[in-house]
Amino acid sequence: MAEQTVEEQDFGTEAIGNLDALYRGALRLTRDPDKAQDLVQDTYARALRYQHSYQAGTNMKAWLFAIMRNLYWDRFQKANREAVSIDDIGEFALYDQMRDDLGEGPETEVLDRIARGEVVDAIEKLSPLHREVVLLVDVEGFSYKDAATVLGVPIGTVMSRLHRARQQLQKDLFEYAVESGIVPGGLNKRS
Amino acid sequence: MYDCEDCIRRLDQLVDKELSPPEVEEIHVHLDECGDCTKRYRFQEGLKRLVKVSYQEQKAPDALRERLRQQLGA
Ligand SMILES: [Zn+2]
Repeated sequence: MAEQTVEEQDFGTEAIGNLDALYRGALRLTRDPDKAQDLVQDTYARALRYQHSYQAGTNMKAWLFAIMRNLYWDRFQKANREAVSIDDIGEFALYDQMRDDLGEGPETEVLDRIARGEVVDAIEKLSPLHREVVLLVDVEGFSYKDAATVLGVPIGTVMSRLHRARQQLQKDLFEYAVESGIVPGGLNKRS
Repeated sequence: MYDCEDCIRRLDQLVDKELSPPEVEEIHVHLDECGDCTKRYRFQEGLKRLVKVSYQEQKAPDALRERLRQQLGA
């Protein structure tokens, strides 16, 4: 193997530093650990090939995510790229629902009692477009602007998808919270 | 002056740290005097944090990391 320049080494180190984030992203996209690994591997291969187009000092995580997302849509989703629709879930918020059922808003401590696996499951149930914006902004800490760049949509679209995604998430978690007895809400509406 | 509706409309941006400093100041003027919005804000913040920690437990497999290290010379 040829000697690496310092720049190339720095690039590699920084790129590897984003591996966990990329793998999580790949899992969200593919929902399959093997496919996720392949996608990540291909993403790094492409990143290496286009290394010169990366500007040092800019957001490498956003750049890698953009590469990965393009690869994914090219490869797996070409056919239904346009077919993904955003279903109208209506206005619903866990907070409001609980406030109505409990007579006051839930304490933040309620969240401590929700199992992490349930949160992951609820996010898995979101539509792909909603899921990826939650992943970018909430899990990986992207700004709206960087998320918009990665997704190739206006910032307003990032905001509306995020808002919808959070509402859907709250709806699912509320159902879980009621079913598991974390909150007593909804009882008066049944049977 | 923000009322509850102005405040709620900006809660996503507040928890995501996307508001400008003057907006943040203005919204906190409202939060300081509105218990309901404050509770709502804390709840949203808590949910965002919960989503983050729920996912950050997921790590890439070691074998993949090793392969990529060699590939990238890192
Ligand atoms: Zn208020």
